Amino acid sequence: MQQNTAVKYKAIVMGGSAGSFSVVSKILSNINPDFKYPIVICMHRLKHIRSGLVEGLRLKSNLPVIEPFDKENIEGGKVYLAPSNYHMFIEIDATISLSTEEVYNHSRPSIDHTFMSAATSFREKMVGIILTGANKDGAMGMREVHVRNGYTIIQDPATCDVQTMPNASLQLFKPNKLLSPQGITDFLNSL
Amino acid sequence: MINITHKEFLQELSKQTPYDFCDYSDNSIQRRIHRIIQESGLNLNELLAKATADADFVERLVNDITVNTTELFRNQDVWEYLYTNVMPKLKSKKNINVWHAGCSTGQEVYSNLILLNELDMLDKANVVASDINNWVVKTAKDGEYPFRFNAQYIDTYNQLMSKIKPNANPFEYYFDIDKESDKMKAKNFLTDIPKFVKHDLVAEEMPFYQKFDIIFCRNVLIYFNPELQVKIVRKFFDKLYDNGVLILGSHEGLHGFVKTHFVKNGMVYTKNKTFHLTYK
Repeated sequence: MQQNTAVKYKAIVMGGSAGSFSVVSKILSNINPDFKYPIVICMHRLKHIRSGLVEGLRLKSNLPVIEPFDKENIEGGKVYLAPSNYHMFIEIDATISLSTEEVYNHSRPSIDHTFMSAATSFREKMVGIILTGANKDGAMGMREVHVRNGYTIIQDPATCDVQTMPNASLQLFKPNKLLSPQGITDFLNSL
Repeated sequence: MINITHKEFLQELSKQTPYDFCDYSDNSIQRRIHRIIQESGLNLNELLAKATADADFVERLVNDITVNTTELFRNQDVWEYLYTNVMPKLKSKKNINVWHAGCSTGQEVYSNLILLNELDMLDKANVVASDINNWVVKTAKDGEYPFRFNAQYIDTYNQLMSKIKPNANPFEYYFDIDKESDKMKAKNFLTDIPKFVKHDLVAEEMPFYQKFDIIFCRNVLIYFNPELQVKIVRKFFDKLYDNGVLILGSHEGLHGFVKTHFVKNGMVYTKNKTFHLTYK
């Protein structure tokens, strides 16, 4: 599979909730500094603790971490983190749209919204990764990635702080891979 | 009958009702309409037929298409900046003209009035607040909100005040709280001040003659396409006094040439009256 060099991705899209901060920082601190794809991340966060998340990730990440503005282009080698209190959609022209519409799955940002829009825009040209988390947000979106032939990775529940989120995805479809955080990092570095 | 497209739906809607959503951002308006289709079980033809026949249904449609998220003291930073850097400079003026464009249910109208009161400037406040959505304008006018959902903003208020004015009035000075019936209501000395109007930023001329010191337009432009964004921001530019400020949402920005007409500081965009000297 890793020999399949013809496959070009437009983005790596990741979602997570409870426990995912340490997983995401681990991945970003071990990713190749010349990683060539954009990484789009939607993580649930506490609404009124606005700082900390992006700063924390910036400290560890080998790649620049950006909280994008509306209509910003996504570019290779950069990490885009959904801003607090906005839904983040990925459009077909590889730009980001933000929205303050209703909370979805009790969440804003909602991981389902990000995955759904990315799956519609990028189809087989994306990798969807769902991480540890305490609710079902993201599962429907990951299934959409799967249905549209995107490459899907679910964090191995055995390595999750909270298994609800990966298990919700596992109930809906069979992913291409079930991986530990280290496994996810190795996979990304092999692309 | 052949199913009409989103675009055709919006074009027909704009011809047959007062509402023109044609220049809203394609993707976001399609997602909104898709959601309405799913929830109502009606297709676009049926939605259009109902909208043409039933004026109340149109208002409901507008309510569902537009996004009405707002909160008290959203993004503390911007309120801190207003209180510390913008409002004190207006103190010598006779009137302080403020426009909340897309005021939704009005929480920011009251946030602003509370800060003006804490600066002893409430008597100068000349505030208009507008929204395309009839229903939210009514809520804004009443200043009445569900308590449980909004209780978290009391903490926001206390946090903000501990930074900018530790001896500020308590939250209860501004709102009557009735936990049993799950209500909180802005007091009359606040609700009496603003003039609330139903106004469509896109389709209608500005209904005001005065210029403004502060225009709030938070997380409204993100739903418009780039051309419409520029058009609306130009109107804001014309409606601002020199050095007046436009307040946007925390992650939206100005696009196109109008960007050069303002000096950005976080979410606060100050009208740059010298732009025409350098803009060539």
